[in-house]
Amino acid sequence: MFLQQLINGLTLGSTYSLLAIGFTLVLGLLQMLNIAHGDVFMIGAFLGLTFSLLGMPLYLALILAMIGAGLLAVIIERLCFRPLRKAHFLMPLLSTIAFGILLQNVATQMWGSEPSRYPQTMEIAQFHLGSVQISSIDIIILVVSLGFMIGIDLFVRKTRFGRAMRATSEKPQTASILGVDVNMVIIVTFFASGALAGIAGVLTALVYLQITPFIGIRQGLIGMVAMVIGGVGSLRGAMIGGLMIGIIEIMNDAYFTASYRDIILFGLFFVFIVFKPEGLFGAKER
Amino acid sequence: MLEIKNISKSFGGLMALRDISLDVAERQIYGLIGPNGAGKTTLFNLITGYYPATEGAIRFFGQEITGLRAHKIARLGIARTFQNIRLFGTMTVKENIQVAQNIHARSGVSSLFQMYSARERRLRQEADELMNRLGLWEKRDEQSPSLSYGEQRRLEIARALALKPKLLLLDEPAAGMNEAESADLLERIRELRETGITVLLIEHDMKVVMGICDRIAVLSFGELITQGTPEEIQANDAVIDAYLGREDD
Amino acid sequence: MSVYMQGIVALMGVNILMALSVYAMITTDQVSLGNAGFMAIGAYASAYLTVKVGMPILPALLSGAFLSFIIGIGVGIPALRLEGLYLVMATFGFGEVVRTFFLNFEPTGGAYGFRGPMGTTLLLIYGWVFSMVLLFWLLSHSRMGRSLDAVRDDPEVASSIGLNVTLLKLGTFGLGAFIAGAAGGLYAHYMFYIESNNFNILVSSMAILYVILGGMYTFWGAILGAVIFSILPELLRFMADWRLSFYGAILVVMIILRPYGIITRPMVKWVENWIGGLFTRTGP
Ligand SMILES: Nc1ncnc2c1ncn2[C@@H]1O[C@H](COP(=O)(O)OP(=O)(O)OP(=O)(O)O)[C@@H](O)[C@H]1O
Ligand SMILES: [Mg+2]
Repeated sequence: MFLQQLINGLTLGSTYSLLAIGFTLVLGLLQMLNIAHGDVFMIGAFLGLTFSLLGMPLYLALILAMIGAGLLAVIIERLCFRPLRKAHFLMPLLSTIAFGILLQNVATQMWGSEPSRYPQTMEIAQFHLGSVQISSIDIIILVVSLGFMIGIDLFVRKTRFGRAMRATSEKPQTASILGVDVNMVIIVTFFASGALAGIAGVLTALVYLQITPFIGIRQGLIGMVAMVIGGVGSLRGAMIGGLMIGIIEIMNDAYFTASYRDIILFGLFFVFIVFKPEGLFGAKER
Repeated sequence: MLEIKNISKSFGGLMALRDISLDVAERQIYGLIGPNGAGKTTLFNLITGYYPATEGAIRFFGQEITGLRAHKIARLGIARTFQNIRLFGTMTVKENIQVAQNIHARSGVSSLFQMYSARERRLRQEADELMNRLGLWEKRDEQSPSLSYGEQRRLEIARALALKPKLLLLDEPAAGMNEAESADLLERIRELRETGITVLLIEHDMKVVMGICDRIAVLSFGELITQGTPEEIQANDAVIDAYLGREDD
Repeated sequence: MSVYMQGIVALMGVNILMALSVYAMITTDQVSLGNAGFMAIGAYASAYLTVKVGMPILPALLSGAFLSFIIGIGVGIPALRLEGLYLVMATFGFGEVVRTFFLNFEPTGGAYGFRGPMGTTLLLIYGWVFSMVLLFWLLSHSRMGRSLDAVRDDPEVASSIGLNVTLLKLGTFGLGAFIAGAAGGLYAHYMFYIESNNFNILVSSMAILYVILGGMYTFWGAILGAVIFSILPELLRFMADWRLSFYGAILVVMIILRPYGIITRPMVKWVENWIGGLFTRTGP
């Protein structure tokens, strides 16, 4: 039973991790929050739905949704961040809140505010390992999200471009003097954060089977919680933070009462920011 | 009036100040000199309560002030200026001075209705006098960032004086001023002594320090090398090695 | 006045109070993305008092606002350790805790919401608005107002001139919580029905937006922002279903074009001098 919950927690948590990574990439680079991140997740889910309804297989819908969400994040960068790079730190925060309102409204117009049913494009198999039951959907979610997490981690640590990203987030001036194309780094970072949110959107939709234009609100906020608990600016922190939140959430629902779930999560978030702002894995400095 | 007893301060591993003891008597101009990074500003920050001392005690008129919060220390009568000018950027010259008078005004909730009281009139008069005294009268309604460098330094002093301090800490007040401006400033600092204010002065220009100070302490790498009258300091070999020697070449 | 107009004007008053609650905190450089939480506390507490206890509306509003103030001080103390984005995130976390608390708190209806509070009149709302405007006007012309400016400009220097920065920050945070609590009470007793989702992050964000877009260095900016953005959605009614998209787009454009707000302090001073001139120039 406990093992079963643990696996459910990891499955849920891995989608939170994908969102938390997006938050942390942008925050690490620009010291700014993209509140519309949850809505990019939502648009990703709807793109996946649309492509699936066109009869595409899951992997293709997933890739296209990922690209679409990535491009959307790049648009957000152009509109809500770039013109405001020198403004008060609240301005981009507010402009992304406004942009989130816009995205929710657009989605309502395109797909309706009633829950949309996600089409089943594949057979769901159930596997039994002793007392633990795991579905093919769970396996897909775990494999895809863990794959992308490892991928982005390797990308940032091992490639030239990844090094440029880290240099830019540590010392933007120095990086640009050293010949790093800072704007390019920012665009790629936003694309990556959006793409991961898009994947998370499709994967989450596979579990819940129905989606609304407002699913991004809570999900985005939880991604932010996961980022803070893991440690702002830390990629691995975001991953572990997301998995932890998923496990806490499932365990809470299983052994405690589901109604207190968000009080616990947001309470934890508050306590972390006040007393341990560097999170579990972040640098002490802020 | 100000007794510094065996003060030490470390930042992580770095000993910024090591076992410093000083006595400043009333109505002195007390000079604090030493090469860059010697710990002079750090000493100011300890006196004014910006951070706690690692060891030692500071007393002001016999009262222990180590560990008091910065605003309490200011209210006891210790005012300061900053090495890198720090004015209130959204305020005019006059407002910068007025806000520093608040500890002498009713600044609580009742101040909302005190705009025209006798006390207010007197404070306004005092602010006007201060602006006149430091040559800022013409600029009284200008925003502080629009002032020239020298004017900004003088405004910082005026703001500190608005607290009516007994002890004034000046951190390189003449830095960046031209010859005439800094001579003028020295004259005003001398006048301060006449009004009963004690001054602790950090200054790099040796001519200035020797000319104006009653006593001088020399810091180097966080240690107090020596203290004494300007004549004694000029004759001290250790000082010449640590400081003057470097200045000469 | 038509019922429709009354509704707009009433909610505008509530929005003005919410903007002023954010403004109170911003006077000492504290940005809160949790004021909907304080609003909820004032709303539920005062509604409980009038509906379940039978208290008259005015003392109930005051009690709700006072409770919000107390909780505001409780949140304000740990918030003193934070600045910038971290304070924004912490207060947001607080707001969500409050919202989910009321979503599950049975004595005030939980997920079903709370029915019954009534009695808010336009006069009552604008009585509060007027009192708060008076308060901020007095503040902006007083020594205390200067002290707050000093804390906002440079808290370290403010303490070097003898100002108790901790107390000023805590006081303005508490004041902001109080005003938001009052706004919540007025809102509840106007709507007859409240549910936890009336106090979500969007409400907190909009309150900040009013202040920032109106101009964060004077309370007139907060008021103007609240007025404009309470009327704008109504003007956009012709856009029907696309209204919110357009609204969001306008906000984004305004933020980009006017990142320092509409009203600035020199503007206020200029207008005040001009008005003052009208009175002094009445010679022969
Ligand atoms: N807040 C701090 N944290 C860490 N180290 C500090 C801090 N403040 C000062 N230091 C260090 O303490 C030493 C003394 O610095 P301080 O500013 O007191 O020197 P100073 O004598 O005023 O020099 P200058 O003439 O350049 O102003 C320096 O090595 C400095 O780097
Ligand atoms: Mg110094």
